[in-house]
Amino acid sequence: MTRTNHFSPGWAAGLRLLALLALPAAGRPLAAAAPADFYLCAALNKGYVTGSKITTLSGLFRRDGTGAWQHIGYNDLSIAAAAFDPRDPKVIYTAALNGCWRSLDGGKTWRQTNGWDITEGRDVAVDPHSPDHVYLALPDGVAVSADRAQTWVRRENGLPDRGKYTQTIKVDRAHAGRVLAGCESGIYLTENGAKSWRRVLPTAATVDDIQQAWNDPRQWAAVTQSDGAWASIDGGVTWKRFPGVPADHALYNLTFDPTNQRRLAIASWHYGVLTTEDSGATWTSRNAGLPEPHRVARVGVDPDTGRLYASVVNDSLYTSDDFGRTWRRSALEGSVINNFITVPGPAK
Amino acid sequence: MKKFISLLALAALLAGPTFAQPAYSGPMPVPPSDTRTDALRRAYLDRVKEVLVWYSATAKPDKPETIGTGQIVAKLALHQDAGLVSQRIIELMKQPQTGDMFWMFPWAAISFLGRDQLSAEAKAAIRDAWRTYFPMRGDTENHWAMYYSSLFLMSELYPDDPAGSWFTGKSSAENRAEAKGYLIHWMDLATTIGQGEYNPTHYIGEYAIPMLYLATWSKDPEMKIRGHMMLDWLMAELADNTLNGVLRGPNARTTEESVLERWNGLSSFFSWTMFGNTPPPAAYGGFGIFFAGAAENYQLPEVIYHIAVDRSQDYIQRDLKRTRRRWRYSDQFMPPVYKTSYMRRDYAVGSYQGGQSDPIQTHVWDVTWAVPDPRGVHNTLFSMHPYASTEVLQMYFTEQPDGLIDSLSGQGKPSFGVPDKILGASPYERVFQDLDTVVALYDIPPGTSYPRINGFFSKDLTQITEDKSGWIFVQGGHTYLAYRPLAPFHWEHLLGYRQLPSAHGYKWERVDKGEQGDKLLVSEHLKNGTIVQAASADEFKSFAAFQAAINALPLEFRLEPVPVVKLTTLRGKQVTFTYGQAPVVDGAPLDYTKWKLFEGLYLNAEKGSRRLTITHGQLKRVLDFNTLTITDSVTP
Repeated sequence: MTRTNHFSPGWAAGLRLLALLALPAAGRPLAAAAPADFYLCAALNKGYVTGSKITTLSGLFRRDGTGAWQHIGYNDLSIAAAAFDPRDPKVIYTAALNGCWRSLDGGKTWRQTNGWDITEGRDVAVDPHSPDHVYLALPDGVAVSADRAQTWVRRENGLPDRGKYTQTIKVDRAHAGRVLAGCESGIYLTENGAKSWRRVLPTAATVDDIQQAWNDPRQWAAVTQSDGAWASIDGGVTWKRFPGVPADHALYNLTFDPTNQRRLAIASWHYGVLTTEDSGATWTSRNAGLPEPHRVARVGVDPDTGRLYASVVNDSLYTSDDFGRTWRRSALEGSVINNFITVPGPAK
Repeated sequence: MKKFISLLALAALLAGPTFAQPAYSGPMPVPPSDTRTDALRRAYLDRVKEVLVWYSATAKPDKPETIGTGQIVAKLALHQDAGLVSQRIIELMKQPQTGDMFWMFPWAAISFLGRDQLSAEAKAAIRDAWRTYFPMRGDTENHWAMYYSSLFLMSELYPDDPAGSWFTGKSSAENRAEAKGYLIHWMDLATTIGQGEYNPTHYIGEYAIPMLYLATWSKDPEMKIRGHMMLDWLMAELADNTLNGVLRGPNARTTEESVLERWNGLSSFFSWTMFGNTPPPAAYGGFGIFFAGAAENYQLPEVIYHIAVDRSQDYIQRDLKRTRRRWRYSDQFMPPVYKTSYMRRDYAVGSYQGGQSDPIQTHVWDVTWAVPDPRGVHNTLFSMHPYASTEVLQMYFTEQPDGLIDSLSGQGKPSFGVPDKILGASPYERVFQDLDTVVALYDIPPGTSYPRINGFFSKDLTQITEDKSGWIFVQGGHTYLAYRPLAPFHWEHLLGYRQLPSAHGYKWERVDKGEQGDKLLVSEHLKNGTIVQAASADEFKSFAAFQAAINALPLEFRLEPVPVVKLTTLRGKQVTFTYGQAPVVDGAPLDYTKWKLFEGLYLNAEKGSRRLTITHGQLKRVLDFNTLTITDSVTP
């Protein structure tokens, strides 16, 4: 059963914002590039508890030419995110329970880049304009490396002493050193490589995900644990709430569809999958064919085909070729997907 | 979703087949008549040998599956069957490795115990696993103690190996430096502002075993002495906080079983091994074998032994501890925990000031009484607010909120999300203890899960008397107890848990033992409180005299706007305790800022000092982490 959430008249300001989101692409649509690489970070728990004897194969997976998922690198069910050096896709960073791992050879060998003073990496991002710079989201703030994660320094000037739990971090692909961090107390922006931060959106609880639109780098969207979903059309400086997206329960992530600039999807344990096909003006529950209760941990969109993926916790990965109208049980049974990562191919 | 909680029920997996264990199923240990040093040492080594022999005997050469890490440790420690063990290790190393930091310390022990026994192929197989298997470091201090101690020692065993030969991608020297840095950092915290996972009934093993390994095998003299000193520190705390070997509350972490049957924890393995004053738990607590494998390298200081076994003198001990680190939704990173313990021959009373210490398994206060044999006995009394909150879990963990509570049951914590639970702390509980009087006050906001107070009344209590005064009088062992609920209540059977077979995660069913089982005093009032007073039966001519004495004591209380109690204790103290305010005793408000790291008859340390003085009678040992020295002295 689907449910459409229409915005209320009070959301006029939001409507104007969303109309802007539907403007023709100001940037290069991803589909115009060569085929992209598509990865996910999966934990195949199957009842695993730290210390138990159940064997699983978890970690980073890459979609191959047949659409199957091929495991890459080491076995780690705690990988929360991964990032790649745009100059060399064999340089991989993972944010995981041990901190941040790095491979220089496509996943054959790895190094835990951090010491004991960095732990539980939540997200990792590489600055595409300055790829030696790597940003790491941590439960106690933000660490930055200027040497491909060889060394790390804390860069938290402007983050609150308490309230800097950082769940997500994203680099503006249009400007070197411009980064948005989703923290426990809101969204913070730096425009100088994390030398200083300022809060651009206060929230009551953790910001779970921030994403930059593929077609226009000025457009951003974010989801939160208790404050609903938000959009920005000025590079994350100001934010407006998406009308029609419920906020009574946590929203875990959102994704822009690289193949269709008007489509976004949101994942939520409670609400399942929410989608919009009009740049956020209306949102629809797209859970027909997903198990009850929905328990969706993550959504992602295949950058080449527009196929929508939904991870149902400890159940399976589900796919939809009609942007959520129908779902098909797919691969990685028993998994939770912690992240989908799109690595754009070179421009044609 | 990452599963973030280590399971000590893993012990069952490690235990091997269960058949009679001499000390577990035998009679209560008898205190030795000969307490000379060499006699105590012999008795200690006899107990260690019992563990090794029992484990070794569970290994059947024709059944490889019976030979796990515990059996291998036992055989290597006993210098038995090196060929068989080497062969089995090679087989085990061909299988996928799992268990993370719980994998690391057994294999570190096997590597050291097997240096001169294992075949080159077996040693190479283990060594290669430290390249190919990527153990997670975990998210608790006990995880890190295991992880870094193991990594440190293995990097010493293979001191010059290159980065490519370790799962970390770091050289032996880099691994050692990182591990040493953390271990010193953790010791600094513990010796200045207190241990995080204090007085754990099970996790004591996850600290004591790594410290023993450092003390035994480290080539670095600093880490060797640090391991030894921290092990002394842990055993001194165990000795000070156990009643005839039984560790009681408060506990940063305990379990559904141990919070009732207070003896039933890995801590009793250490009491048995070190002090010989209580039986060990089944299968020596699972992890006991990993201590036993190197236990001959540790000698318990006599002063600690005497603290453990001497209950001839009442004593009060105040300690400073700290909470687990809080990542978010809190103004404080590791708030202090102010712990009080009052020990007597017949019973012990312990508490901390209330509030949240650990998110899941904290036990805030209790009165625990002495029993002739603690096995199967629920010798404790307390009340608590059954609090279950996603926000509190997120305070300590990096998980997403939904499903967190439900997932705990499958991770071996069946009671977190149920209203009749008796394990856990609450932000809405405030506790004050003066000697053997405890006042617990509750001010629970509407809408909180759950809107009730649970008082635990053991199946082993006798003479349960609901007095018209409002006091409930009971007897436990040789202890008279008075329990005063401050709001109306009703009684329920306390349902137990029975673990069901399950291939994936833990599954449970509830068990009602009816009138033969424990009972809950349930008070469904948000503003609430409990007063408990205890006394030895020897102090009164009769149970009725005890009741009369309690009823004669002045007592005033009110629950609005916040709970307030004003009473005179059985020991003559005038106590005024208001929820949210400092307790006032004989007109003086309690100043927690003056709380020392340790202050009591036997253990003393200033906050920030890194220096613990352990005394008993004429014996004194000083553990000084500033100078890394152990100083023993005997007062003339």
